[in-house]
Amino acid sequence: MTTPDLYPDAPVPIRPDILAEQMRAWRHIASAGSWFTGAERLAVAAETRAARTCALCASRKAALSPNAVDGGHDHSPSGAKLPAALIEVVHRVTTDPARLSKSWHDGVMADGLDAERYVEAVGVAVHTISLDTFAAGLGLPPRPLPAAQPGAPSGYRPKSAKMAAAWVPLISPGNEDGAEINLYGGMMGAYIQQALTLVPDEQRSWFSLCGAQYMAGSQMRDFSTEPRAITHAQIEFVAGRISALNECRY
Amino acid sequence: MPAGGQLAAFAEALVDGAADVIAEAIRNLRAAVGDDGWVDAAGVAATFNGIDRLADATGIPLEEMKAEASADFRGAIGIEAFADGRG
Repeated sequence: MTTPDLYPDAPVPIRPDILAEQMRAWRHIASAGSWFTGAERLAVAAETRAARTCALCASRKAALSPNAVDGGHDHSPSGAKLPAALIEVVHRVTTDPARLSKSWHDGVMADGLDAERYVEAVGVAVHTISLDTFAAGLGLPPRPLPAAQPGAPSGYRPKSAKMAAAWVPLISPGNEDGAEINLYGGMMGAYIQQALTLVPDEQRSWFSLCGAQYMAGSQMRDFSTEPRAITHAQIEFVAGRISALNECRY
Repeated sequence: MPAGGQLAAFAEALVDGAADVIAEAIRNLRAAVGDDGWVDAAGVAATFNGIDRLADATGIPLEEMKAEASADFRGAIGIEAFADGRG
């Protein structure tokens, strides 16, 4: 895919920085990460799409408690190569994020996932959901998944990631070192910016994408300049409405 | 809020996911904010549809500073009634 090819069906011009970032994000998804191959990461991406029509996810979403409904997920063909616990993670994060709980998280970890793969899978899932939401916002179908890139996972785990305030280890601001020394460059290091730091490349990629689709950190609190065609107030209004609909307390 | 109704309907349509609802919301939003504003709104919606899930999936807490700053309106606008699985 080249940049103009990403949205050949776009009804209006798309900002070049959004196009460039989304192309980079798709390449990121399709490439080997720290703990998964490119093919496995694309299988995670495919599962975010399969989750939207999964009968079990629909039944759980409608139930008073998701724990009240048993069964197996309807997974994509590529999902067959993923462990069941990972499919559960991707489907629940996609379809019922507000009711994720510490006990649910502990359960999927007890089923054989480790924190590193959990965080990387969450990173791939939120990238994919965001890219697909953008396409939907233009009235377009999800983009075709790219081809998997060759290569093996790096197995890289930052030494400075520690269990602290979240369900997963984080690199707290002030504790960055080594390859992560500039991890929060230009950002405050809020918890949301720490959330993916156990797999630093997921954090870097996600916030690079956010900088184009939303705003860069330096633009968020600069009210003297409107960097977009809608105002800061309108931007935060959309952000707030999406988060309220998703019942996100953060 | 200029175009507040159209922006809210656009966000609601994207979370709802029904193609006909999204199409109508796009028509109305485009008329209200123009093509560039529509693309920018799509980018914001896309970002927060991911960020919300990132926060929920990793169990990060709300910073004390933000909790204090929003304490007087979180209950009023219904945030405290949302599910909380962080415990």
